Amino acid sequence: MNKLLAGRYLVGNSLLHRLDGRVKIICLLILIALVIGSRSVSSYAISVSAVCMIVLLSKLPPAYVLGPVGRLWLFFITIFLMNALFFDTLNPLYSWWIFHPSVAGIKQGFSVVVHVVLVLILSSVLTMTTSPTEVTTALESLIKPLKLIGVPTEDVAMIISIAIQFIPTLLEETEAIKMAQIARGARFESKKLKERAFSVFPLVIPIFLSAFKRADELSLAMEARGYRNAKKRTKRKKEPLSSKDYIALCICVALCLVQFLLLR
Amino acid sequence: MVVNGKNISYSYDCNDTSYALRNVDLSIEQGEFVCILGCNGSGKSTLVRHLNALLQLQHGELTIAGIDVSNENDIWRLRRICGMVFQNPDNQFVSSVVEEDIAFGLENYEVPREEIPEKVNSALLLVDMEGYDKRAPNSLSGGQKQRIALAGVLALEPDIIIFDEVTAMLDPDGKQEVLEMMRKLHKAGKTIIAITHYVEEAVHADSVILMHEGKMIASGKTRDILTDVQLLKIAEIMPPMAVRVYYDLLDAGVKLKECPITNEELAEKICKLP
Repeated sequence: MNKLLAGRYLVGNSLLHRLDGRVKIICLLILIALVIGSRSVSSYAISVSAVCMIVLLSKLPPAYVLGPVGRLWLFFITIFLMNALFFDTLNPLYSWWIFHPSVAGIKQGFSVVVHVVLVLILSSVLTMTTSPTEVTTALESLIKPLKLIGVPTEDVAMIISIAIQFIPTLLEETEAIKMAQIARGARFESKKLKERAFSVFPLVIPIFLSAFKRADELSLAMEARGYRNAKKRTKRKKEPLSSKDYIALCICVALCLVQFLLLR
Repeated sequence: MVVNGKNISYSYDCNDTSYALRNVDLSIEQGEFVCILGCNGSGKSTLVRHLNALLQLQHGELTIAGIDVSNENDIWRLRRICGMVFQNPDNQFVSSVVEEDIAFGLENYEVPREEIPEKVNSALLLVDMEGYDKRAPNSLSGGQKQRIALAGVLALEPDIIIFDEVTAMLDPDGKQEVLEMMRKLHKAGKTIIAITHYVEEAVHADSVILMHEGKMIASGKTRDILTDVQLLKIAEIMPPMAVRVYYDLLDAGVKLKECPITNEELAEKICKLP
């Protein structure tokens, strides 16, 4: 399975695929609040169950949904260790040099990692079940009020939509550049933390260069196909929200309320 | 003439005297298949990017189907008449769903929503990719990706189609698919302008324009240009294999009736040797 596909829209007919794009974005924001608000075991149980249910309803292959999480394992371990070793220096379980592992630190580290993992999964499910055009249309509607302060909302929506779908492409590019550098002796897999950290720098410049080149070529291709600005385009018919959209919104709001009550 | 250009010059840096294009005259007839041939940096892409006003005309005159490219009010009409497919298919897709990507150009021209699905299907049919509408472009082969990029252009029903080194990143099968598509569109009456540095891709064109260091060093019938080895040498282009074999045979004392430009012609002529 191509792990680089993670995050890209997958055509499907699940309940989540059929939900309105605007509702999906609002639900995502509500669920992020739900996840970040988790503090107790019961609230974590609600958040994790909600995310699992959403993944099941999306009918997406779990490997695709969990792909981005798997690739960031080093990041998660780093976050966990930093919290576990430095969070609480006053009540450490044990102290050695600058390291002070503590119960509060371990709890905090676990909490941060779970929050980021769940938010990442929710965001992946959104981009995997919503086509780029739907994302653009939904964003256009949701940020419409910003027009009042002169924000070109149609263009912003187009930019965000293209940026989202280019993330997997840039990951692919990063992998290719990494391989090319390994072939020339770069040591990304070195066990020495210092060597490993420094090895990232030579990746950054070629990735930026490549991203700018892609952006340049894409803008030419868009212009060649008659793109002027997002205002002068065929508008998508704004479908009225259906009963399933309202139900999804109600469930998300209800979950958030339960979480709020548990926090009190 | 559908394309009529006189004295076109272009410099990427206005303060610089090193021109990417120098005094190029260009004339292409309606329905013609023209190949612009030249090595890297010869000014081919710079020249064709003037045809749909992706580059602003700095010096000279250029009209496409009667439209003056320097008239900014006509740029959008011009880009609908003159479609362009680029080298890297991955950098042309604005959507990760084939049908949405093909619809992009139509939406830019405010084609009514209800007409879009039919036009998308017709474009897919033209490039022999029907049934791929729900697929992700990145799941396709290089040749298929270029055909989808072409479908995005064809959906706008342009009269002129520019292929800007479209085969450069493709494997041999992908190349054949795209070249076959060019020939098919030419037969259907479209004006085809293909730019390449692979001489073998020029053999099916009606005429060839030879570029070198920003200048047009020759233009004429494909056979006349591709068999002129001295001219090709100046342009730093290797002659087609059939032409090289013809001259090798000539050196060895074997004279074929006429210089072939394709391998098939070469084989036929060798078979006819007494």
